[in-house]
Amino acid sequence: MAAITVFSPRTLPAVLKHRAVHKLGLLALAAAVLVPLANARWTGGAWPDALTVDLTKPLTEASTWIVDNRDTHPLFLYFFGHVSNAIVLAVRAVYLVLLAAGWAGVTALGALVAWRVAGLRLALGTVAAFLTCGWLGMWVPTMQTLALMVVAVAASVVVGALLGLAGGLSDRLNRALRPVLDTMQVLPAYAYLLPVVLVFGMGVPAAVLATVVYAAPPMARLTALGLRGADKEVLEAVRSLGATARQGLLTARIPLARKELLLGLNQTIMMALSMAVIASVIGAGGLGDRVYQALASVDVGAALAAGIPIVLLAVVLDRVTGAAGNGSTSAEPRRTGWLYALVAALAIAVAGRLMGRLDWPDAWTVRIAEPVNRAVDWMTAHLYSGVPVIGGTADWAAHFTTWVLNPLRDGLTWLPWWSVLLLVAALAWLIGTWQTALTAVLVMAAIGVLGVWTPALDTLSQVLAAVAVTLVIGFATGIAAARSDRLERALRPVLDVFQTMPQFVYLIPVVALFGVGRAPAVAAAVVYALPAVVRITTQGLRQVDAAAMESSSSLGATSWQQLRQVQLPLARPALLLAVNQGVVLVLAVVIIGGLVGGGALGYDVVFGLAQGDLATGLVAGAAIVCLGLMLDRVTQPTERRTKKGA
Amino acid sequence: MSEAVLAETPVFSVNGLWKVFGPKADRIPADPELTALDPADLRARTGCTAAVRDVSFDVRKGEVFVVMGLSGSGKSTLVRCLTRLIEPTAGTLAIDGEDVRAMDKPRLRELRRHRAAMVFQHFGLLPHRTVLDNVAYGLEIQGLGKAERRARAAEVVAKVGLEGMEQRRPSQLSGGQRQRVGLARALAVDPEVLLFDEPFSALDPLIRRDMQEEVVRLHREEGRTMVFITHDLSEALKLGDRIALMRDGKVVQLGTPEEIVGSPADDYVREFVRDVPREQVLTVRTAMRTPTDGDAVTGPAVAPDATVSEAIEAVARAGEPARVVDEGRCLGVVDADGLLGVVAGTAKEAV
Amino acid sequence: MRIRTRLCATAAVGSLLLLTGCGAADMTKQASPFANAQGSKTVTLSVQSWVGAQANVAVAQYLLEHELGYRVDTVQVDEVPAWDALSQGRVDAILEDWGHPEQEKRYVDDKKTITRGGELGVTGHIGWYVPTYFAQQHPDVTNWKNLNKYADLMRTAESGGKGQLMDGSPSYVTNDKALVANLDLDYQVVFAGSEAAQITQIKQFAKEKKPFLTYWYAPQWLFKKVPMTEVKLPAYKEGCDADPDKVACAYPHTPLEKYLNSDFARSGGKAAAFLKKFRWTTEDQNEVSLMIADQKLTPEQAAKKWVEGHESTWRAWLS
Repeated sequence: MAAITVFSPRTLPAVLKHRAVHKLGLLALAAAVLVPLANARWTGGAWPDALTVDLTKPLTEASTWIVDNRDTHPLFLYFFGHVSNAIVLAVRAVYLVLLAAGWAGVTALGALVAWRVAGLRLALGTVAAFLTCGWLGMWVPTMQTLALMVVAVAASVVVGALLGLAGGLSDRLNRALRPVLDTMQVLPAYAYLLPVVLVFGMGVPAAVLATVVYAAPPMARLTALGLRGADKEVLEAVRSLGATARQGLLTARIPLARKELLLGLNQTIMMALSMAVIASVIGAGGLGDRVYQALASVDVGAALAAGIPIVLLAVVLDRVTGAAGNGSTSAEPRRTGWLYALVAALAIAVAGRLMGRLDWPDAWTVRIAEPVNRAVDWMTAHLYSGVPVIGGTADWAAHFTTWVLNPLRDGLTWLPWWSVLLLVAALAWLIGTWQTALTAVLVMAAIGVLGVWTPALDTLSQVLAAVAVTLVIGFATGIAAARSDRLERALRPVLDVFQTMPQFVYLIPVVALFGVGRAPAVAAAVVYALPAVVRITTQGLRQVDAAAMESSSSLGATSWQQLRQVQLPLARPALLLAVNQGVVLVLAVVIIGGLVGGGALGYDVVFGLAQGDLATGLVAGAAIVCLGLMLDRVTQPTERRTKKGA
Repeated sequence: MSEAVLAETPVFSVNGLWKVFGPKADRIPADPELTALDPADLRARTGCTAAVRDVSFDVRKGEVFVVMGLSGSGKSTLVRCLTRLIEPTAGTLAIDGEDVRAMDKPRLRELRRHRAAMVFQHFGLLPHRTVLDNVAYGLEIQGLGKAERRARAAEVVAKVGLEGMEQRRPSQLSGGQRQRVGLARALAVDPEVLLFDEPFSALDPLIRRDMQEEVVRLHREEGRTMVFITHDLSEALKLGDRIALMRDGKVVQLGTPEEIVGSPADDYVREFVRDVPREQVLTVRTAMRTPTDGDAVTGPAVAPDATVSEAIEAVARAGEPARVVDEGRCLGVVDADGLLGVVAGTAKEAV
Repeated sequence: MRIRTRLCATAAVGSLLLLTGCGAADMTKQASPFANAQGSKTVTLSVQSWVGAQANVAVAQYLLEHELGYRVDTVQVDEVPAWDALSQGRVDAILEDWGHPEQEKRYVDDKKTITRGGELGVTGHIGWYVPTYFAQQHPDVTNWKNLNKYADLMRTAESGGKGQLMDGSPSYVTNDKALVANLDLDYQVVFAGSEAAQITQIKQFAKEKKPFLTYWYAPQWLFKKVPMTEVKLPAYKEGCDADPDKVACAYPHTPLEKYLNSDFARSGGKAAAFLKKFRWTTEDQNEVSLMIADQKLTPEQAAKKWVEGHESTWRAWLS
């Protein structure tokens, strides 16, 4: 994910302490003036009604207008209609090509691309992955998802690269784009669904567009970053030889940004894949839809059968594009290799066609649903309750709800609204600048204005609890993994799976273990956010300057001393990043949590999608976005933000 | 220098050149009150930094013109102003008599493509291209066809001693080899003048010496005009026909190595050249006295531009004073006392 | 160079226009990109998230594919959005609708993009249920007036100090919050958020023989796994649920309906005719549902089993 930048961690606390007092003093002063005023005018406690704006009517009217005019209004006929049509045609074209290539052709093509780009091992992995997809009986859905992905990724890359090009070449555009892209990076995928559904209705076009909106920002960011990060002296040398701006761009800047561009492609693909699954809620079809349908019949096994291809696709695509980014490839000698690969793939596809083996043969599939379900049943039956001494998972969930979630929620809602704002301001200011504090307070206030103050605080309490649990487990695991190579190796595939497995798949086991309510929602969030936190922690600890470690061990420090006094302080930026990522990821699952009884904002969004009640859904979605922005600002040290684009 | 050279149009003619960084930089060169301020005050008053302050010099055809100064003295900015890689703030600047500051974009590109090529401190190579394609890059920019530019690049690669490495990438080369590529890239476009921006300061001492000798050799073979930026005094003395010594954006002294070492313009320069082995820079002219009758006519003969150290060797070997002979005419005599005086720095500074 | 790029751009724009056709593009007439692949005729059916609806679709799909030679795509969409998708032609038919008067008026009566497809033959009913094992021990729990007496037993961590009334998917019709308030019950409505979560929770409760109160509906296969008894609410009268805030009566019994996209209904050939005639009973549906949801057969296997045993029923649909 984001690059970990190193700043001098030692000097920070002292500076912070000094400035912190200063800032808090100012804030206290502002509060002393404003709070009595606010209190006199409106009541304390929950957000005052007088300060809310009811958007239900305009939103409902807008949604009705769109539905009524979708087939008549010129805007739809001449613009959105064409967009939608182009997407349908493009997806269809890719889908037909994939079907025409047959399973053998597609597998061969994938393997050969992987071989050219990333070597033999990954090529074998690709073959295994595709064959597993077919073997699980998921060939056609896999192709549907792949077709959607191809179109969405292509569009994302084009849009993202153009935006990135603009941002990379123009300082002014960069300044305008950066905060927008930063913000989009923080938003939960679900939040993008409602607006596109509003305009395009359910179906593939809406799904593709939501995916593009979700997946294009990393491409844009990294393109701009790559173009800006190019070695200044190389660019100067290019200019000194009299290159025009365009020559410079084509022969130097873009090739020099190759690594970032490929990383951008990698991230775009990963995000598009996760979105393609979530977009099944709005009719994307494909693998996501299979997972979603399996969920309806409470069939973990079937959900897993569709989830595994997603994980495999994700891992293969990640590794192949990642390898492309790392390898230093020379274009020319490989051209012939590509040609051979292409010819070979075509030959296999034609052979498959001639043998009439286009569709994956039914006889070659295996049903994993049943054994998986038995295993899950066994697990839930034995863990749910009545485990001696430690109690069952249901008891834990009940205790967690009663002793952690309830007090947290009640405490937050009990706080007068202005004190919540003050708290947010103080935290954001301590960790950042007055601008971050202002943004944080404004977005928090926006939640109140939208009229969803109480559910938002409920959601916030769940997020905080989930983040706390994630960090405790994540840091512990991360530290352990950083100290043991074997553990890290063992963890890697597990983390891969959990990071890419569609969240729908583990909803049922989570409910089966923890019952319905906020506890399973928290559990789902922890499962989702944990891998990133573990990864960043491990990486941060491992990147600690070897010289510092060596000098401390030469002084005879025990490994515990070394961890506490050298590694953790030096890895501070990474740990802060882990906190930030933890918060962002936990928030991304809030809506999923709505599906298992998390209630509050997540439920409202699901409700909005399910009932076509866009007013409720959009308002709740907007509130989640605001919460996300607020939490991001409160957990993101300014150092990281200012250094990120340099 | 001979008068014939002086009569020619200088390659670069720089007059009253300013480069000021910061807000509203334009007003500073024009305002006598501001130009009088020292850098710290200027920064405090206006927020601007004057990297180049009222610099004037000519670069003559065929000479190696060295601009020397410590980091922050403005020398790198100055060299970039010559081809407007950095846009000068004020002053005049001409190449072969043509006003560079008045050039439009295509004309400026033409200047960069054909007339002045630069070699950079950190080489500025394109990592994704082979050595050959890096060297051919300038030709590619000019729009030459692939075959032709590769053929020409191959020649230059050979000239800088990189045969057999044409297909390597910069990351597979050592620092010295990379700078040879940088040099070859600049040579490939056959420019009228070569600009060097501290080209060897990132290299190991031994490699640096090799490269300096390479430059000396190239200059001897081709006689190309060179502007050479360095912070290394011994490099400046070794390579430069003339040296401009910069401090805080100003040229504090401009002269031959001998003039700089032999008669520093101010204390700053004096301090700067204090540790220079004077006998290797100063010529026998500085130690020479007019011959008296008592001087033997048999002593060894040295040329007038021989260094003091060469004279010492000759004097020591012969055991008697040496005659300074120019085209058969005896200009004077150097004896052990005079030479020692130069070495010790007690001799009166020559003008 | 410049000319070439311009040419490319023109070509790209031109081909896009050619591809999409100049003039207007009505996106409400665009089918799914996955439809009609490989030259076969495709019917796209909407599957709602509950298993009963899956059973309808599974059997219809099986017969369409094996008897009529169609290829069937299924898309899972929630009820209200499904109406929109149906209107746009992204799906061709909804086989089980629980009554959406507003959408019916908009799409069927005004825009005429959707056509009624007749009754499914199954009658749906929503209500409050307690597990039968609990109702047998405490027979009076089946009247809403006594519910407060059992509120304590129904308590969970999630419902706090009150009893828990578990509601399901947000896509379902529910008046439960209003009912709890208007009937003055000491209960808290807890939304499970999805039917899957609700069923899982009910099964867990049943395994432990715990008491619970849940929103549920019939026909539903879960009754065979976890027998549940309905709690009597004040009787339903026509119009008593008109004002959502003042509802204080039970839910109605709804004959479930089928709806077809108008274009599909006109030109859908045998498939459309078949879907219009498709009509079976609550028992039939439950039989298939149970195979899918409980015996974990795939919908296709379940449909096959049912079709093998009920030839007389489905033969009529094909004629």
